[in-house]
Amino acid sequence: MSNDSTLKTFLVAFLLCIVCSVLVCMAAIVRIDREGYNKQLEIRKTVLAAAGFQQQIDDGDDIDELFTNNVELKLVDLANGDYTTAVDAATYDQKEAVNNPALSEAIPADLDVAGIGTRAKYAAIYVTKDGDFILPIRGAGMWGPMYGYISVGSDCKTVKGFTFYQHAETPGLGAEVDNPRWKAQWTGKELLNDSGDLALKIVKNGSFDPNAADANNTIDGLAGATVTGNKVQGIISYWFGEHGFKKFLANQKAKRG
Amino acid sequence: MAKAKDALLDPLFNNNPIALQILGICSALAVTNKLSTALTMTIAVTLVTGFSNASISAIRNHIPNSIRIIVQMTVIATLVIIIDQMLKAYAYEMSKALSVYVGLIITNCIVMGRAEAYAMKNPVYESFMDGIGNGLGYGIILLAVGFVRELFGSGKIFGLTILNPVNNGGWYQTNGLMLLAPSAFFLIGFIIWGLRTWKPELQE
Repeated sequence: MSNDSTLKTFLVAFLLCIVCSVLVCMAAIVRIDREGYNKQLEIRKTVLAAAGFQQQIDDGDDIDELFTNNVELKLVDLANGDYTTAVDAATYDQKEAVNNPALSEAIPADLDVAGIGTRAKYAAIYVTKDGDFILPIRGAGMWGPMYGYISVGSDCKTVKGFTFYQHAETPGLGAEVDNPRWKAQWTGKELLNDSGDLALKIVKNGSFDPNAADANNTIDGLAGATVTGNKVQGIISYWFGEHGFKKFLANQKAKRG
Repeated sequence: MAKAKDALLDPLFNNNPIALQILGICSALAVTNKLSTALTMTIAVTLVTGFSNASISAIRNHIPNSIRIIVQMTVIATLVIIIDQMLKAYAYEMSKALSVYVGLIITNCIVMGRAEAYAMKNPVYESFMDGIGNGLGYGIILLAVGFVRELFGSGKIFGLTILNPVNNGGWYQTNGLMLLAPSAFFLIGFIIWGLRTWKPELQE
């Protein structure tokens, strides 16, 4: 049979497609098997890092065990700032909920300082044994969305830890948001003032003065990453403003006296 | 066998895909700011070029001329997807660092170029060696560029601190340009210059 006959052309194309699709399917099955585990592990690591368990993670402790023993998942209704059981916390996926009109709401453009457009009605947060809150934050970065967690102490105003688990900032510049030395700066800073408003601000690299009166609520920005610094400021401003966790933290503070 | 050896070694310097054929520049800019990503990319591209050349060569006598490009493309795409999925499954952190560039190996001119120019006319073993050789030729440049960029951009080699940067309380002021894609252009330019000075017969 000639190679260029119509029949042979169809036959070769058909067989090739069958063989290739079987191979691709097999690879995909292996990947799907592992994907859920990989993603969950990553989020658990981030939550634990934000909660101050970085040392144990670096020591190679079992992530799943650390996680189940130390933090508890809860859902917060952002509209009134209270815990909710409207949906099942174990199966709720905050990232998915953003795309579901029933579970999300649009953010008015003038309030949208984080540049996210819509946000889920319910936030999946973690509470540690000591009563610290680990709150999910997200927003637009310089090159793509940034996802992370910030941990707020049981006094409802002090930062205990801060970390991004997904971002696309420039390596060496904006991606230094992952630098442990920079993240360490956040620990102990005053996130909210006594009336519950956002106090924390990120200043341009080098203009941080440790002796200034406001040093306790100022973060020294990253060198060469002014845009990333501004974006992170926007994310913090949004998530600890009226639309974010402000009400929740105020409620918790009132409860705890 | 001499032919297979030439097929393997020629692309390293004499007919380097990046430095001489000027192919695959896009990914060479994108994944070379760290050596670990450059190395993973090298391995991925070498495997893809090797096995795509071998499989296309194996069926070369049955590929109808009218659909040969599509057939090559399908074989290459299949191999790339398999590698991409395996990275996602077993090297999740690395697959995030490489992001879209693994998928883009499909469109890497080196793979397609070798399939069309070499594997369609040569036996399986030689084609496989040609593919591996071209992957390694691509990889040598990637690793050379990655070495310079990571060392001077972050003060590190494979993530180990060599020059302690100011950011971590050291003395080395990192070179920001090295972390951005344009620096790879300059470095590849220098490599091409160096290579053609060393081997004047490569000059056009």
